[in-house]
Amino acid sequence: MTDSLLQHLTPEEIELWAQGLLPATGDAHLAQCAECRAIAERERKLIRELAQLTRFAPEFGFVERVMAKVNVPTPSRPHLRPHTDS
Amino acid sequence: MAWAQQGHEPAFRELVRRYERPIFSLLYRMVRDRALAEDLAQETFIKVLNAIGSYNPQFKFSSWIFKIANNAAIDHLRKRELETLSLDGSPHATTPDEMSATAPQLGDRHESPLQELEARELGGAIEHAIARLRPEYRTCILLRHVEGHSYEDIARILDLPLGTVKTYIHRARNELRGYLEDRRE
Repeated sequence: MTDSLLQHLTPEEIELWAQGLLPATGDAHLAQCAECRAIAERERKLIRELAQLTRFAPEFGFVERVMAKVNVPTPSRPHLRPHTDS
Repeated sequence: MAWAQQGHEPAFRELVRRYERPIFSLLYRMVRDRALAEDLAQETFIKVLNAIGSYNPQFKFSSWIFKIANNAAIDHLRKRELETLSLDGSPHATTPDEMSATAPQLGDRHESPLQELEARELGGAIEHAIARLRPEYRTCILLRHVEGHSYEDIARILDLPLGTVKTYIHRARNELRGYLEDRRE
């Protein structure tokens, strides 16, 4: 058995597994290690729960309230030479 | 971004529209007060848009705006210490009785419509668990698992070493699982 199969997964590897991104060697360890599997299942449940949290919106009209307090500079234009009659 | 840097108002509006929910959500979960979160979100956007000319496009715009928002939240939390917002009661409490005595009593007050809305929005088990995390863990977990930032981005946003960010996120997940299991038992 190779070292990578014997070593428990790190928290980062478990997170990768929860996201479906763990390389095959990690998957092979999980298939054999009940301890890592239990931790990984709990992590996946929590990570999913967090990812599904609501994105809250501020009160209606937020953009207008911000824009009223921002100094919007005048768009830069190509510089023209001052017109002279000479 | 280039249009916003040239001072085009529609580009400013688009930036606010694009980031208002993620920024407001982070701040709301950090301070757990809608009106205050909106004030801090406005402060964030005003700072960002007024300084847009100095923005360095080598860095991600999202990292920059989240850094400013997080700083606003942390500054506020430091000023107020927010002892009354800790669901465990005062951080100075040393016994379970003291914690219980200083914890906010949610059920025995007359709630305004805004407070009722906050209770509905932030009343779930996972929201309560997030609220119990210390602020730096809370920011890390929200940026990583709600907003989907990479560890490297979070390190830049929070000005922390990458290893510290990894440790905070790992510890925060452990704590969250513990709090959630406590509530379910």
